Amino acid sequence: MLACIRCGLCLTSCPTYVLSMHESEGPRGRVGMARAMAEGHLQVTTDLVEHELNCLVCDACSAVCPAGVHMDPLQVRLRSALEPEVHRAWGERLLRALVFGWLFMDMRRFRLLARMLWAYQRSGARWLARRLGLLQLLRLDVAEQLLPDVPRRFVTPRGETYAGKGASVAFFAGCVMSTALADVDRATIRVLQRAGHSVHDPRGQGCCGALHAHGGDLPRALDLARANIAAFESTDGPIVVNSAGCGAMLKDYAHHFRDDSQWSERARSFSARVKDLSEVLSPKSLPVSRPIDARHVRVVYQDACHLLHAQRISRQPRDLLRRIPGVELTEIAEAGLCCGSAGVYNLTNPVQSRQLQQRKLDNVLAADPRLVVTANPGCLLQLRGGLAERNSHVKVVHLAELLDEATMP
Amino acid sequence: MTVAADLRAIVTSSRVLDAPAELRTYAYDASFLTQLAPRPPDAVVIAASTDDVSAVMRYANARQIPVTPRGAASGQAAGAVALTGGIVLALNAMNRILEIDVANMQAFCEPGVVHAQLNAALAPHGLLFPPDPGSSRMATVGGMASTNAHGMRAVKYGPTSAWVLGLEVVLPDGQIIETGSVGSRAKQSSAGLELTKLIVGAEGTLGVVTRLRLKLMAIPPARAIVLGLFDVLENAGQAVQAVFGAGVSPSAIEILDERCIQAINLYRPGMHLPRVEALVLFEVDGNPPGVRWDAERVCEIIAPFARRTEWSDEPARINALWEARSVVGAAVGTLRPGSNRAYCGEDICVPVARIPETLRAIQEIGARHRIPIATYGHIGGGGLHPGHLIDGRDPDEIQRVLRVADDVHQLALRMGGTTTGEHGVGTARAPYMPQEHGAALDVMRRLKRALDPNGIMNPGVIFDAPPLPFELPLIGPVGEPASASIDPG
Repeated sequence: MLACIRCGLCLTSCPTYVLSMHESEGPRGRVGMARAMAEGHLQVTTDLVEHELNCLVCDACSAVCPAGVHMDPLQVRLRSALEPEVHRAWGERLLRALVFGWLFMDMRRFRLLARMLWAYQRSGARWLARRLGLLQLLRLDVAEQLLPDVPRRFVTPRGETYAGKGASVAFFAGCVMSTALADVDRATIRVLQRAGHSVHDPRGQGCCGALHAHGGDLPRALDLARANIAAFESTDGPIVVNSAGCGAMLKDYAHHFRDDSQWSERARSFSARVKDLSEVLSPKSLPVSRPIDARHVRVVYQDACHLLHAQRISRQPRDLLRRIPGVELTEIAEAGLCCGSAGVYNLTNPVQSRQLQQRKLDNVLAADPRLVVTANPGCLLQLRGGLAERNSHVKVVHLAELLDEATMP
Repeated sequence: MTVAADLRAIVTSSRVLDAPAELRTYAYDASFLTQLAPRPPDAVVIAASTDDVSAVMRYANARQIPVTPRGAASGQAAGAVALTGGIVLALNAMNRILEIDVANMQAFCEPGVVHAQLNAALAPHGLLFPPDPGSSRMATVGGMASTNAHGMRAVKYGPTSAWVLGLEVVLPDGQIIETGSVGSRAKQSSAGLELTKLIVGAEGTLGVVTRLRLKLMAIPPARAIVLGLFDVLENAGQAVQAVFGAGVSPSAIEILDERCIQAINLYRPGMHLPRVEALVLFEVDGNPPGVRWDAERVCEIIAPFARRTEWSDEPARINALWEARSVVGAAVGTLRPGSNRAYCGEDICVPVARIPETLRAIQEIGARHRIPIATYGHIGGGGLHPGHLIDGRDPDEIQRVLRVADDVHQLALRMGGTTTGEHGVGTARAPYMPQEHGAALDVMRRLKRALDPNGIMNPGVIFDAPPLPFELPLIGPVGEPASASIDPG
């Protein structure tokens, strides 16, 4: 925060500034407001809270900042400090308590809810709810649209080892990834095995805590972090993650515990082991056996902010895609601009989220692809939802799914 | 009625802001002065059209309320901050490129267009707006015109004023005029007083620029970059003079001192620049055989002065070196953990022949006041940017850096130069204007009074800086104190 010299280089990279052209909706303004508040020159006012919470925490500003300001940890601390001041309706408070305090804290509960959703989607209840307009009534229509079709089988980490010939890796299964997108988790494990890894999936791991940290509940985020650090201490090798948002959070554990004498060392060694799937797979070691289609397929790789900006990973996934015969990789305009998903931003800030989603879709469709590949659940669902709404035939898949298909024996 | 309430009634298409935290974000630019003395305006108007601007000016003039036009506020001289209160007129949302006239090689655009975005839009037509501030990714063309920004390519292509053919300007009373002949698309003119040149560089003290007619050129087919590494600072100065003397006309000549080289190595570790007293980048452009000849010739001329020379026409290498150069101003802060770059006394320009002498004198000023300084600049034109690294929480360092800034400004005048080569006067350098201009400053005042009799346009800028209450101490509850010295890196 003190490093900011107010040069303004961050402005044009910031999605909310680009939308509003409003200084308090840009990184320089957000840092300025936070600093003035910390130094006692500014009270906590509703406009301050609003502009700070409008931040997507996409870290596009951190990636370009020459003075080394890092927005993500700044927002995490700020939101935690602001939370008591934020005015929320009782319904929202209850929902937050349920989601942050109960649901995400234990994967058994999370899986139970996912199972209920599966039943809802399969039993005809969904058809009925949509027909009766119940969702609009409960203001759940946006959230429901974004839900993927929940698969029947989840990935439940029980300490199993998926055998491979070579070096072992540990797999972070995630909460949404291991349930609603369990097929992607299974594809990831298969791809790792085919690339010669033995994959260990330790018991005791859970949600990474990113939603809590960005939602102003740092204490619970740290509880989740401690559980994950402990769970992976019995494993060897890199900790592989296939969700950009989780990966960025896991890599930030070291920062969040840096002043904690009990946990700083354990967090540091945990974070140092965390690798995105695309960092672990080398294009050469990938046994690509077949093209994904008889024809050439034009593919857009959609950069997830938490890979591109937070983890500075952009080349590796593209190199992997280029290995697949028949893939014609093409770039889009404003590739570094967030798609508006940003964790639960599409639920908390639907207006800005939708503007960014539509802008991203326009840019994607202008490149005329048949396939969009991404490596983050949020982007995946945001783009899928938007494309379905436009009746587009363009498919959105996770990088792991495409690699799985291309390496299938 | 408050100013904001009045404004909401008259500017329908704009947004008017007056919430406390929102106003705070318009209280500063990149200058150290506004870090010490941030001043929130009474209201902000995010203008959407020339009519909005005109309506705001009519209202403000009738009520004698100060108006401060603002682009990206990337300036370093407190030129776009409402230091005496009033209205900030934000022009950043007026950011449309209205027309690219390829045949006549001109662009028409609104003032909020960001420089890099303009050139990105021109590139498919093979065209270029050549003035190139290091801050291309944030600076607006309106701000460039208002400060008559020079930038890295001014040594060959001249300042912004050389590329502005005409302007639409809203005068302080709300009247809208067009300079450079109404409706003209001519590339040159001898008709009457050159009002375009008067407004360019006036820093919003005479009116508000709402549209620009810019001259363009074709993108040179080839570019190359020559890198010279010098063990001794003075050798770098001699090398540059030798290049000019040999009749080569580089499109940019930039110098970085030892500390800047360290900062670049920290920001982009892959660059592996060696530690020397000075690094000089020469860019040459033109047709491909000519560029190769120029680059080889520059290498040959500077070789006797340099430890090492190399040249490249690889776009990747050229872009990497220019990117490193463009962020060095902010990146030098990373040299001393816990410290910041303080933008004050940062933009002097001296005669080219006196650059090595000036660089040594700047180092002595820094040593005398115990403030580390990393200097870089446009050695081809004589512009130097000393970057002062201070711990902004230490009141003693704040006092010392203010003395450094004063010494640097006095040094520039003593060397036969100016206190601002390209960033503008703003409020930060207004106190030096009587010394720098003498009786000519009174002529400027008379012109200002003729156009702005109520003195509402950007008061405190260029003329008569107001006394400012510093918001001290700047002691935040977070962070470690800065390390005592520069990281040996």
